[in-house]
Amino acid sequence: MIKLIIDNLRVEVPPGTRVIDAAEQAGIMIPRFCYHPALGAVGACRVCAVQVLEGSCRGIRMSCMIEAEEGMVISTTDEEAVAFRRQVIEWLMANHPHDCPVCDEGGQCLLQDMTVSGGHGRRRLPVKKRTHIDQHLGPLVVHEMNRCIQCYRCVRFYREYAGYTDLGVMGSAGRVYFGRRSDGVLESPFAGNLIDVCPTGVFTDRPSRFKGRYWDFERTPSVCIHCSLGCRVTVNTRYREVVRVEAAHDPQVNGWFICDRGRYGFPYASSPQRPRSARIDGRKSGVDEALDEAARRLSGIAQRHGSGSVALAASGRVCLETLGALTRFGSEKGWRGPFFRAGPRTAEALQSASKNLEEKISISLKDIEKSDFILLVGCDPVNEAPMLALSVRQARRRGAVVALADARSVQLPLDARRLALRPSQLTAALMRFAGKAVADGGAALSDRARGFLQACRDSRVDPAVDEQIDHLGLAARESRRPVVVCGTSAVAPDTPAAAANVARLLAAEGRKAGFFPVLPGANALALGLAGRTADHGAALREALEKGDVRALVVVETNLSELGFSADDPLLENLEALVVCDCLDSAAGRAARVFIPTQTVFEAGGTFVSAEARVREARPAFRGGTPVAQVSGGGHPPRTFSPDIPGADPLPAWQVLAALAREGTRVSADTLRKALPAPLCGAAPGKRLALPASAPDAFQPPEDPATAADGGLEVVVCEHIFGSEPLSRRAACLQELESAPRLGLHPGDAAALQLSAGQRVAVDCGRGVIEGEIEIVNEMARGVLLVPRLRGIDWHAAADGPLVVAVADIRSVKPNGES
Amino acid sequence: MSSDRTKKTKPADHPGTLIAESIKALGSGFATTAKHLLRRPVTEQYPEQKRVLPERSRARIVLTRDPDGRERCVACYLCSAVCPVSCISMQSTGGEGGRRVAAWFRINFSRCIYCGLCEEACPTSAIQLTPDFENCRQDILEMVFEKDDLLVDHGGRDDRYCFYRHAGIATDTAGKGEHVNEQPPVDAKSNLP
Ligand code: SF4
Ligand code: SF4
Ligand code: SF4
Ligand code: SF4
Ligand code: FES
Repeated sequence: MIKLIIDNLRVEVPPGTRVIDAAEQAGIMIPRFCYHPALGAVGACRVCAVQVLEGSCRGIRMSCMIEAEEGMVISTTDEEAVAFRRQVIEWLMANHPHDCPVCDEGGQCLLQDMTVSGGHGRRRLPVKKRTHIDQHLGPLVVHEMNRCIQCYRCVRFYREYAGYTDLGVMGSAGRVYFGRRSDGVLESPFAGNLIDVCPTGVFTDRPSRFKGRYWDFERTPSVCIHCSLGCRVTVNTRYREVVRVEAAHDPQVNGWFICDRGRYGFPYASSPQRPRSARIDGRKSGVDEALDEAARRLSGIAQRHGSGSVALAASGRVCLETLGALTRFGSEKGWRGPFFRAGPRTAEALQSASKNLEEKISISLKDIEKSDFILLVGCDPVNEAPMLALSVRQARRRGAVVALADARSVQLPLDARRLALRPSQLTAALMRFAGKAVADGGAALSDRARGFLQACRDSRVDPAVDEQIDHLGLAARESRRPVVVCGTSAVAPDTPAAAANVARLLAAEGRKAGFFPVLPGANALALGLAGRTADHGAALREALEKGDVRALVVVETNLSELGFSADDPLLENLEALVVCDCLDSAAGRAARVFIPTQTVFEAGGTFVSAEARVREARPAFRGGTPVAQVSGGGHPPRTFSPDIPGADPLPAWQVLAALAREGTRVSADTLRKALPAPLCGAAPGKRLALPASAPDAFQPPEDPATAADGGLEVVVCEHIFGSEPLSRRAACLQELESAPRLGLHPGDAAALQLSAGQRVAVDCGRGVIEGEIEIVNEMARGVLLVPRLRGIDWHAAADGPLVVAVADIRSVKPNGES
Repeated sequence: MSSDRTKKTKPADHPGTLIAESIKALGSGFATTAKHLLRRPVTEQYPEQKRVLPERSRARIVLTRDPDGRERCVACYLCSAVCPVSCISMQSTGGEGGRRVAAWFRINFSRCIYCGLCEEACPTSAIQLTPDFENCRQDILEMVFEKDDLLVDHGGRDDRYCFYRHAGIATDTAGKGEHVNEQPPVDAKSNLP
């Protein structure tokens, strides 16, 4: 530790700490514009000047550019330093426009704060101000270049940290310009962070443009529930409406940033289409009445056909409390389920990923940044877990090798070694990789591990790729902190377990190896741990067909995720379809009884992220229809009542308690305790107490099948915008959705005599997927990519990569005829 | 001390002194009355008579317009932030021509203490206090003024200032480089000095 003195305070910091950070540790906030802990120091703005009284570099120095030294004496209040900083602020303001009153940054603007604290009030410069033309940067970010102070934070984030190149710096001298070559939508799905990093109002939030001031917002710590990473966010609400979501700092998970899906995914909560009242048989009713009626019908059906004729359906978007309610009331009442995921393949992939997460190999996003070899298997970070891509990029920037084995042409903001493999080849490829990556069967390995290593060594994929895999394995031999990241949607059911075993094997060798699963939904890990393997969408379908299930309670779940289409005839056969959701969905409209639930912003909730971290969202506001909708945009109504209009929705766990006739006054804590271990011990902010070792560790997969002869494996691809059920309702993100097209390798397209733009219908057994063909060069052969986007009936292929015969693919005319 | 006082009051107890004193007091009282009878009254006959108050006296608040006759308020929330009794509320929104305007703007005059801090905070000269103090209603809800009630069709005490001629943002009033004290926009793609 290094000891130094700052403003007469003794400070002790680890070697390599910058003076600006050392001062912050001691509670002294030195002004800064260009310095950002995640982006490093460049010394561009000169506002962090301090006086070095003792040390190797005496005099006025930039505190972000010098490191703390033993015995250093620093003064931040020294007259010369104060005068210097004051001068810097004045010249940074020389060209600043006179527009704080109409700038959304006002109130949370670093430049504004510094200008006021520096005492600068009147412009003394007699020359005219320099101006810039702004650019249109798409639906998320507003550009107002006049306000720039040339701190370079934006480009350092956009290009260096995030790895996108369409925003940069142009011009010279006083004309330095930060923008794109020309107007256009920012390509990075992390562009929203520009708003947070820019210390002035050059980049501001477009969806919340002119919506209010920081000091008027209620700011609540929360967690993003738009993917399984659980990034920490701050929710800003005002007048019963979520206005803006910002990144909140979490050193272990998302660092300082979030992705645009997380930042802009919230409008579903205040959508005018959001259902706010209950319905019984299509008629609006009070929530209490609907709960009574639903409970009555459910118990009636249970009496007539047995309690097992009532089934529950859930997805990764339900919180831990609701999952606890599903588990507790389900078992108390003898109801079936909760059913989750589309079928045996995806259910197994999720469960094996969840159950294989054990203490030794579980890692955080931060650990990924520190790793030196990353193997991504069957996952598409940018589209499935966006912030993961930034973590992988930070590792790559530090020199890590990144390899990617996937069927899709996965786009990453970094250069990675690619292996285009069909989902069915992934398990074998992983094992073959491990066989090479582990140097010798060293004495350190247990018998089971050695058995697994032997299976790895025997594994073959395809002569065409085996060599590439071997190279990769050899490259991983030297790594000290290898990480295997594995998806759960575009993989074979046994791939996640194999990925965990490979990480275990590398760890058994004495390295700090990690396994990181990418899961479907904010609480998917908990669902995987709590759910029963047999309770998946296909099993539910079977039970419905047989008439074993007569009533279905769907809790905050889109039935397409269970492999059902919106108008599935099986659902019509149900005696009672009870839907509890905060979204307006086809199933909700078809429901016999519909009960509106609260969103995470109103109810709060606990979620377990993919890295087994327990994340808590606090209620941000009490609920109710946004004031702007009640008043029609004008002033708030001049009538008063003790009730909040539109505040009927209840938290889903209370709805479930009422359906089980337990009254709505259950405590969220007891519901969490009803879950199986380790979920019952979930404490917000901590990680789950994971098992020391999974029961079936080092179990080689039964038959790492590789063949998919004569057919195409259908892979449903998640997209960052347009796939996730909540965020796809945000109008600003809808503008960024890709066109829904079916992807084919050029070789396969030629073999099938299909060309780009041609429409095909693919019979997947459970349904027909129809769409336009797109030729994708970097993807694997023998695969058909189906985007999970509006306009495509992807649910038919929802249960993981299934194989369709070539005969099942026929081309159709645009009007639907063959 | 008490003995001193008794001594002093003694002469007043004399009946002769007492009568003289009474007559004097009576006389001076009538004199004062007579004097005031002949003087002009100071009481103003409000409400029949209304005095013109100084321009800067603080009473009912208005929202003024810029020299072009357009709403001055840019809904910046500074007045509502500074108001010590929190009686101003509003909602900002995008208006025509790229302007920022108030979708609604409300002052609760039953709470306002007419301190004038809102006027002092206003960067656009929009909100101004007027000398009109006669602002009472039977129903307290009528004391809540909406934007339409507050808007006037003049510039109040400042009939020259137009914020959008000074702000750097492009609106239908002025584009980039067209505001007061601005150079024309630079060409960022040129490297010439
Ligand atoms: S645009 Fe913002 S972040 Fe970028 S250099 Fe200018 S002030 Fe800094
Ligand atoms: S990466 Fe996932 S959790 Fe994080 S902000 Fe994006 S969608 Fe939300
Ligand atoms: S005069 Fe004072 S109390 Fe009245 S609205 Fe203005 S700031 Fe508020
Ligand atoms: S301070 Fe002036 S411009 Fe700002 S909201 Fe109030 S009246 Fe409008
Ligand atoms: S913060 Fe140190 S120079 Fe900008």
